Amino acid sequence: MVSTSIALILLISISEFLSVRGNDPVYNALARRLSKVFVVSFGVGTASGIVMAVELVGLFPSFMTLVASTGAIVLLYAEISAFFLEVLALVLYVYYWNSFKGKYSHWVVSLFVVLGTLASAVFITMVNAWMNTPNGYDVSAFVNSGFKTVTGVEPFAAFLTVSTVSQVFHVLVTTIFAGTMVIGAYFAYWFVKSRDAGEKAMYGRALKILGVIAVVTIVLAGISGSEEAGALLVNQPLKYAAIEANTVPGTNLPDHFFGSVVNGTYVGGISMPGMQALLARFETGISTLPGLSQFPASTWPPLLVNTTFNVMTVGGLALGVFMFVFLVSLVRKRRPYESRRLLYLWIPAAVLAMLVYQLGWATDEVGRQPWIVYNVMTVAQAANTSDALLVPGVIIVLFYLVVVPATFYFYSRVFQGSSKEAPA
Amino acid sequence: MNGIFEVNYAAFSVFAALLITEIMGAVGLLVAWPSRSKVLDYIVPVWEVTGTFGALWVVTGDFAYPGLLVPVAEIFTPLLIVFLILFVARNASISFAEFITKRGWLDEEKLYKSYAIATIVLGVVVLVLLSALVGGQGVSLASGSFSIISWATAGSVVFEVGTLLLAVGLAPVLFDLSALRKLVLPLTGLGVVLSVLSYWMMSPGLLTPWMALPVLLTLAVGALYAWPKTSRVVTNKAVFLAVLSVIIFSLQPLVYPKAIGQALPIDTVTTAGAMADAFFSMSVVGGLLLALMLSLYVVVASRGPSGTGL
Repeated sequence: MVSTSIALILLISISEFLSVRGNDPVYNALARRLSKVFVVSFGVGTASGIVMAVELVGLFPSFMTLVASTGAIVLLYAEISAFFLEVLALVLYVYYWNSFKGKYSHWVVSLFVVLGTLASAVFITMVNAWMNTPNGYDVSAFVNSGFKTVTGVEPFAAFLTVSTVSQVFHVLVTTIFAGTMVIGAYFAYWFVKSRDAGEKAMYGRALKILGVIAVVTIVLAGISGSEEAGALLVNQPLKYAAIEANTVPGTNLPDHFFGSVVNGTYVGGISMPGMQALLARFETGISTLPGLSQFPASTWPPLLVNTTFNVMTVGGLALGVFMFVFLVSLVRKRRPYESRRLLYLWIPAAVLAMLVYQLGWATDEVGRQPWIVYNVMTVAQAANTSDALLVPGVIIVLFYLVVVPATFYFYSRVFQGSSKEAPA
Repeated sequence: MNGIFEVNYAAFSVFAALLITEIMGAVGLLVAWPSRSKVLDYIVPVWEVTGTFGALWVVTGDFAYPGLLVPVAEIFTPLLIVFLILFVARNASISFAEFITKRGWLDEEKLYKSYAIATIVLGVVVLVLLSALVGGQGVSLASGSFSIISWATAGSVVFEVGTLLLAVGLAPVLFDLSALRKLVLPLTGLGVVLSVLSYWMMSPGLLTPWMALPVLLTLAVGALYAWPKTSRVVTNKAVFLAVLSVIIFSLQPLVYPKAIGQALPIDTVTTAGAMADAFFSMSVVGGLLLALMLSLYVVVASRGPSGTGL
């Protein structure tokens, strides 16, 4: 939902800019109709953010106590400030559309919504980066005190851990890419299905914008993904060893694809000799790569992360090829956003993009196991194990199984429901 | 005085004021659907801000009282999960309702009424939580648990009834329902009496001289609305919200210096040192940003009707 929200507001802002610049009523109608969808997205998204904030306290109280005693809570406070920017700008943007007089003044408000939305995403990703590479307090004193005393606190250090820049960069571009692909799939479907020339013109324009965003972000996703792998190698060697399925350390290790580790040995799958070592040297200059045998087996994450990582990288490459075809076609003025063949392909590509995006998060989170805060606190130590949570926990899961599909259904219904509106 | 408590409690005051006004509107949507436009003109832009202030309260609470998070999780998580489900349901139904077009069985009225029911039940849940935080009813700090059966004392029930009566009594002021003008002062007065009585029933020590301030302010709102000449002052929605926030803010002796039935000294669980400095720095920066955005909002909104193109 976050990814579609971010992609939506980018699309809205760019559409309005193009409508103002070129006096194009189709772009204007697109921005207006999408802004309604964004309100629905915000309504459910903001509530879900609060659900997350409160649930974290309920489910992982010891973790949240650490968060609240260190700079991580400062990041959450910053996120709330960004949230206010987003919500107040959104209220002005949507409900006072015609109250702005200057040519570009209403569009400028959309930039504040974009800024607030992106800043929220950045700050929450910073918290995750802090979980991967915690800083800003005396870790050993905290662990030695049995998680009771936090000392040496530097509240603002959490804004810049060693993994923050690479992780924020990668998460931001992949989030935008995944959301762009999903929204694009919706427009691709309707472009192919619709017989209304006016509607098709609108879908085509949306796809043109989304296609360009997707091309830019998939390139950046590749670059940032490479940076992120390099940062993992330096900062989280165990996670790196697990996602690469390196059973032992070495200097000329192969890249492993789709195999598994059995009794400390990599079996099955495909190995590309020397490839991993080559990429690592290129990215970081490091020639000796870590292996699982260097770490106690009790601290290994589930080695399934090798598979999730492989699907993510191979899927990402496939999406890169798809967007390359789109780009070539765009450069050759073939209007790829109106090509039925490419649009049919866009729909499975969007499913793949979301799968790749989710697997990226799975790789990050499962790869950090058993830790909730790397090398500090395990998930088991952080969790609330009260039986009283079971029933409400099940209810909230069931509730979301209804809410999420309903929300996407309403996105469509709200967008299509306003199709008879005359462009203003 | 504890500055960190004040900031967190101020966030709560605004959140609670916004939520109460939404409950007022929700009652209106359920009992007077044909005249919904007065309610919706207010609620539709505001519901998004309510949630954000709720989030601000939660996050500043986490920041302010790190040592309380484990006991809070143990005691209140089931209640909080009910709150969360209602919160998502309310946000989803109103955001769907705003832009829904009639097709099939689901329409604007059903969605707005779903929102209204979710909001009112949410309000009741919040009041259960608040009465527990004030009087400690149902809370066992020793075993880290909350029992709704133990909570249901006379004091808690009167607290719920009194607060809801205040919301119903003041609703005609917010939405300027002049036909109900004569009911405002009696209902508000009764709500005040019941609320004060509930505080005394929960713990006589809660009734300090400071409590005269919220009582007088509440009665003043009702009294100002009773006369047509002065009613315009309090029917201004910004003024009403501001006064309501001040009333709630002035109720802080109910939880400070001690909360949960006078069992929890707040100062002993408040963050300190570098984290306290960071709390204030972030509050100043965030507060300035918020003030800037609210000023922009006031400037734009003061140009007249919203003129939404949607």
